[in-house]
Amino acid sequence: MNILVCVKQVPDDYVEIRLDGAGKPATAGVEIVNNAFDTYAVELAARFCEANGGAVTVLTLGKDGAQSGLKNLLAVGASKAYLITPPEGDADENCVAAWLAAAVQKCQELNDEPFDLILCGKESTDEISGQVGAMLAEKLDLPFVSSVIEAMPIDGGLSARQETEFGYIRYEVPTPAVFTIAKPGYDPRYPTIKNKMAARKAVIPTVSAAEAGMEARPARVVCLGYAEPPHRQAGVKVQEKEAAVAAAKAVALMAEAKAL
Amino acid sequence: MKYFVYIECQDGQPLSASLEALTPAAQLGEAVAVTVGSASAAAAVAAYGVPVMDLDAEPCCPDRITAALESVIREQKPDGVLFAATQAAKDLAPRLAARLDGGCVTDATGLEVKDGKLICTRPAYGGTILERLAVTAPAFVTLRSGSYAKPAQTAPASVETVPVTIPDGAVKAKLMEAVTEISEAVDLEGADIVVAGGRGMGSAEGFRLVEELAALLGGVVGASRPAIEEGWISRAHQVGQSGKMVSPKLYIACGISGAMQHISGAMGSKFIVAINKDESAPIFSVADVGIVGDALEIIPALMDELRKRG
Repeated sequence: MNILVCVKQVPDDYVEIRLDGAGKPATAGVEIVNNAFDTYAVELAARFCEANGGAVTVLTLGKDGAQSGLKNLLAVGASKAYLITPPEGDADENCVAAWLAAAVQKCQELNDEPFDLILCGKESTDEISGQVGAMLAEKLDLPFVSSVIEAMPIDGGLSARQETEFGYIRYEVPTPAVFTIAKPGYDPRYPTIKNKMAARKAVIPTVSAAEAGMEARPARVVCLGYAEPPHRQAGVKVQEKEAAVAAAKAVALMAEAKAL
Repeated sequence: MKYFVYIECQDGQPLSASLEALTPAAQLGEAVAVTVGSASAAAAVAAYGVPVMDLDAEPCCPDRITAALESVIREQKPDGVLFAATQAAKDLAPRLAARLDGGCVTDATGLEVKDGKLICTRPAYGGTILERLAVTAPAFVTLRSGSYAKPAQTAPASVETVPVTIPDGAVKAKLMEAVTEISEAVDLEGADIVVAGGRGMGSAEGFRLVEELAALLGGVVGASRPAIEEGWISRAHQVGQSGKMVSPKLYIACGISGAMQHISGAMGSKFIVAINKDESAPIFSVADVGIVGDALEIIPALMDELRKRG
């Protein structure tokens, strides 16, 4: 099965992003990494292909410089990677999904083979909107299942297990299909040194928006500005040698504040 | 302006978070609640004084619900649809926005209208930053639970059964089985006291202390993502970005370092107590009382102290 994984590059989510002097998210200097859920999607795709045959292609919409993130994925299960530069200007999720739909067609053309399955992480750690995968499925008019943690081949398609709050739902879809991926019960693999060396030498094909048939389009959602949520004041710190003394102090403070 | 509120149901009853969305819809203009194939839920919603359209369709899978809503939105052209930000609605809203070329906003915490445009506030970057977004109609907005209080019940409003057109081939993903693995009801959102544990509890046995303290206080057990991933407790207990937003009177964070993804879920708490070995843990910057120490030693001492007070 040929699987395409759409990967967004985001500021490292271990770093707390606040506003800078101009009132914009202070992402300058923060390391750019592959979105965590997208790396889970790459691992799920790699395991699927190892078990059932097939190959994993990865795609990032981004600017020059995004190659290194894609190379990292070539070292952990992806066999092809494409970097496509989207049109300039403000974009909302609907724009991104439309561009991804065009990019999917372009990647199929470059691979000279259609995809059977297209994966996105269930959300990105920066915007956390979780919209793009669902919108991409609509643009491509393909079956859609979200928050998938397991995919299995069946006659004529796939069986997908969707993680839910109380358990799971199993769906069956014909292929091609679009899934978004939640955190499966395993972590992405680490690259071997050999794979890492090979990936470093890889040349990532870069495609312009025009070559991919992407057009600028009006955003339906426009960001007017940013604010920081109200800060909480740090209160009293209790630091004692004896746990019992600390506990007595803490409970007294809680009682005083009528928190008990 | 006319807004639909999609009412999600569980066991034939409307979700409380869906009812909360009636409040901003009424503030923005005219609110109409929409249920799918559930007369009982429709009647329950009408008791809040908001007219209800019960769509004549089986709510048997996401594809059918999407198609049913698409049909009534094309027919009646509301300015937007509000949803509780549940897992299911976070799929419905973007799918409908793509089909109807509208704008979509996830996890909004505040809505207003300015110069005829809907403006939404929502958290990004794990909750450290709030965005203000202007949305072109039709708007599809999921609302984070707890952002609005649900309206008071008044004289019941009307319920109308509305036929919908679901095209052949609308169902592409066939729902084969829905399995409940976690049957416990965990009402984190409604809890007055939440005692949450994280990686610092060290082991499944260590995490039992969190449960004991919660039981002693009559509170609900919460957890951060590492504790869930370690398998110490089910994900129904998760507090934070990928879990529940809580707003108890007392939140006790045990062995939780305080990553923003977790803390953003507890910022609505009235009083926060943190227990952590690491003096410089970020959790202490938001805690009203911060106890520096090993939670495995502090929790038993706290329980002794609380029992003394009776």
